[in-house]
Amino acid sequence: MTLAIILVVFAVLALVLILRVTVSRALQVSSSDSLAPRIEPLDVDAFRNLVDASENAYLYRRLPAAEFRRVQRERLRAAAAYIRVSGQNAAILVTIAQAALESSDSQTVEAARQLIDSALLLRRNAAFALLRIYVGLAWPTIGLSATPVLLGYERLNGCAMLLGRLQNPTVPVRISVRS
Amino acid sequence: MLQAHSILWHCLWVAPNLLFVLLGVLLWRRGIGRIFPAFLAFAILGSVGDLATYLADIIPSVTPDNFWRVFWASLVIESVLKFLVIGEVFSRLFTPYPSIARLGKTLVSGCGALLVLAAAVMAGFARGDTMIRVIARAHLLEQTVFIVELGLIIFLFVFAAYFHLSWDRLSFGIMIGLGVSACEHLAVWAIIANASPSEHVRTLFSLLGMATYLLCVFIWFYYLLVPGKATVKTKISLPENNLAVWNRELERLLQQ
Repeated sequence: MTLAIILVVFAVLALVLILRVTVSRALQVSSSDSLAPRIEPLDVDAFRNLVDASENAYLYRRLPAAEFRRVQRERLRAAAAYIRVSGQNAAILVTIAQAALESSDSQTVEAARQLIDSALLLRRNAAFALLRIYVGLAWPTIGLSATPVLLGYERLNGCAMLLGRLQNPTVPVRISVRS
Repeated sequence: MLQAHSILWHCLWVAPNLLFVLLGVLLWRRGIGRIFPAFLAFAILGSVGDLATYLADIIPSVTPDNFWRVFWASLVIESVLKFLVIGEVFSRLFTPYPSIARLGKTLVSGCGALLVLAAAVMAGFARGDTMIRVIARAHLLEQTVFIVELGLIIFLFVFAAYFHLSWDRLSFGIMIGLGVSACEHLAVWAIIANASPSEHVRTLFSLLGMATYLLCVFIWFYYLLVPGKATVKTKISLPENNLAVWNRELERLLQQ
């Protein structure tokens, strides 16, 4: 009987999920306009510093073991926040790029494809990096390796820039002006 | 009315299968069968198998042993075809995204293996609803197939939602229909195989299953034959402030 209850609960939850997916798909078109403002800018320098292996090694050498673990946990939590934001940005960019695939301009379509590829890779790497971070919170001495996320985010920047320029050639894109 | 061999019972058993065969013919004529050959086979062979089971049930000369043989054959063919359909949709969903196609394949294989293991364990723990082995095993096979099927469908939905993959209308409709059918059937077979309900409750479950199947056939009709609303995807511009941030980053990279 217990087995029957477990399976019935599983089936009901699955049905709710399926209905939710169906409804959200129907509402997807109307909500797509509000996507772009949801992209959160990321301080890549701070992110780079957090996942820098030499920084880890330096802290490991300089700090007492207990203090290192405490600091490392804080750094891991901060890195997790950055990785979550980069993953969310990647998800939004996938949707934006999918809309751009409908363009009649072949260059825009190609840029959109590259953006989708980069965003999906980043989202995949972000999921793995988050898993490693959650393990790292239990064993802070394990080094944090979020470099693929960082590199992926940088690649994503380039792809998003290219698509942005192709879609809005009139908008001044500042490449050579230092801010 | 809510009894075995009532008019409602006959209608609910026969109608969805005839409609499904009709859908298969229409898909074949419209060329959609070439895009989804496994689904076309499922529509035609699955329905023919179910109709054969129906005939075996109502023809008095068919012995109970032969009825269960027909039931088993139909169940095995239908199950294989369903998994082929899921594979077909999976392949169609991931083909436009080569960057995660390999990960998807690895995960779906792992998920499938785990589901088979879990379903086998659950079948092992099931107490069986009848002393007649062939019937109890058929019920357990139904439960096992629906656990694996529903697990794979949910995995696909979750994976696609996580990566924000876009479903095409046909694949989405097929999966919604299979998903709804699998949810209802899993719940019903789990109760039948593990809780030994009364004969009347079994008949009610049987009618519920047939009605759900009819609903799923209507879902497939809607998604596969009715064209979707022509939605023009509006260009979503990237915000300038973000471009400025990205530009800064690119500049930094160029100067490294």
